Amino acid sequence: MELMAIFISAVLVQNFVLYYFLGICPFLGVSKKIDSALSMGLAVTFVMSITAVVSWLINNLILIPYDLGYLQIVSFILVIASLVQLVEMFIRKISPPLYQALGIYLPLITTNCAIMGLALIAALNEYSFVETVIFGFGSGLGFTLAIVLMAGIREQLDLSDVPEPLKGAGIALIVAGIMALAFNGFIGMLT
Amino acid sequence: MATKTIRAEYLKGLWDENPVLRQILGLCPTLAVTGTVITGLAMGLATTFVLIFSSLVVSSIKKLIPAQVRIATYIVVIASFVTIADQFLKAFFYPISEALGPYVPLIVVNCIILGRQEAFSSRNSVGRSLIDALGMSTGFILTLLALSSIREILGAGTFLGYQVMGPWFKPWIIMILPAGGFITLGILLGIALTIESRTKRS
Amino acid sequence: MSLSSRMIIVLTTVGLISGGFLAGVAKLTKERIALNIQAEIEEAIKEVVDDAEVSTVLYEEEGLVIYRELEEDGDLAGFAIQAIGVGFQDKITLMFGLDETLTKITGLTIIEQKETPGLGAKITDWNAFLQFWEDRDATGPLSLRKPSVRTPEELMATEINSITAATISSRKVLEIVNLSLDKVRELIAKGKITDEEHDGN
Repeated sequence: MELMAIFISAVLVQNFVLYYFLGICPFLGVSKKIDSALSMGLAVTFVMSITAVVSWLINNLILIPYDLGYLQIVSFILVIASLVQLVEMFIRKISPPLYQALGIYLPLITTNCAIMGLALIAALNEYSFVETVIFGFGSGLGFTLAIVLMAGIREQLDLSDVPEPLKGAGIALIVAGIMALAFNGFIGMLT
Repeated sequence: MATKTIRAEYLKGLWDENPVLRQILGLCPTLAVTGTVITGLAMGLATTFVLIFSSLVVSSIKKLIPAQVRIATYIVVIASFVTIADQFLKAFFYPISEALGPYVPLIVVNCIILGRQEAFSSRNSVGRSLIDALGMSTGFILTLLALSSIREILGAGTFLGYQVMGPWFKPWIIMILPAGGFITLGILLGIALTIESRTKRS
Repeated sequence: MSLSSRMIIVLTTVGLISGGFLAGVAKLTKERIALNIQAEIEEAIKEVVDDAEVSTVLYEEEGLVIYRELEEDGDLAGFAIQAIGVGFQDKITLMFGLDETLTKITGLTIIEQKETPGLGAKITDWNAFLQFWEDRDATGPLSLRKPSVRTPEELMATEINSITAATISSRKVLEIVNLSLDKVRELIAKGKITDEEHDGN
């Protein structure tokens, strides 16, 4: 698949949240306000792009040549955990206010299935280095798009009358379902 | 904090502290593989395997791990068991492994497992951790079964591949699509909370 | 013992134990897994080429593999072509068979697809799609017949049936097959594939 197709696919057609179901926890947890959603989205995109690079390197320079495929899961998740630590320290130094704003969300990025999912899917599809980077960046943007859209909708929802049992996660999931249906319309865009 | 009875320790995972419906954890696999009952069940069992053994190991070595590296240690332990589960499925249940795709390796970031290590196994005896893991797993499997049954029966008219709806039934394709997963789970969550508040009131 | 050295020792030990354990498990399952992947391909080949017993790879490139199939007694059974291409939703992996004369398609089966359930996914359905692939004329490009027909007899030998409400997925499969056939013809022209039997070669 050429690069543009991979990019568009990652952002719209096979959106990480609405198609692959990855990154749901932060998607539900951080989508209450548009600005925190945006910050989370950008932090995730940043981590995803770097993860794409590092996971490709590890997979193609170490795991495959030395027939260590079975160490893929362990090495990927350790890399991601370390990267998130580094990003956390980096943001803390560069911009304390941003660090305060993101607070607890940063460490949570480690268990964000989206990052691990990115590494695994890129490896599964055997993308080249450039394809992996585009895929990582695109998926991050797709995640950001989904989470910001969701925050926009939820900010409105806060003002309306949602039945008690559905408040919070329940209604968010139903909204996500409708968004997923809408995004379904993007299928075939690349045909 | 009062110590629960063994029975209570187990049962809490099924309802009061159901990992998906009450703690809202582990949603990624819940939504992704519940299109059919067989994949939902397979995922539930694989997750159970990882949760039980990770809890056993973590609980056994909890005194040896310095606090600063505990998360990293949990991750390595969990990732190892996930790898074993993945290899096992690929070797002995290849079609199911294909159907589950990248979601088996993704068990490693299933917040339920890491969450239990941090919240429970690292602070409780091996025996109790096992009971806790069993309870959480049962709760998880039951939720997966509920969700995948609804989605498969309404979305394809089958259950475990066997036709259960008559020819008069036109499948609701949306149920198999991602949208169906989201909406069904949202509704299940609403129902669970309604039942919860009703029983609290009475 | 200082904290940092303790941390390092614990992490290294845990790492080594896990690594060793996993290496052991990998060794046990490796062969089995390779066999499973192999079995999937062989099953697909058997579905599209009758009496295929012995398989050899004639040609391989990215997204295309051509197998020569021999019967048990060494006679040429036909050829199997495995091709990967872009579908409507995601990639489609399929296998189709050519007879010994390389002029007829003997059948088609879908190995992997992620098309829309209930619609595009019908390309895996015998009644809706696959049965119409037998005895297709492979000497030139194939085309799509719309609207769908009910029986194979209604189709011309160079046509394949399109699935109602899933024309795009049907067309994608067609494109993959046509592209593969182009490649096959190219290789025949270069002498890389012949329809003659080679005994003991």
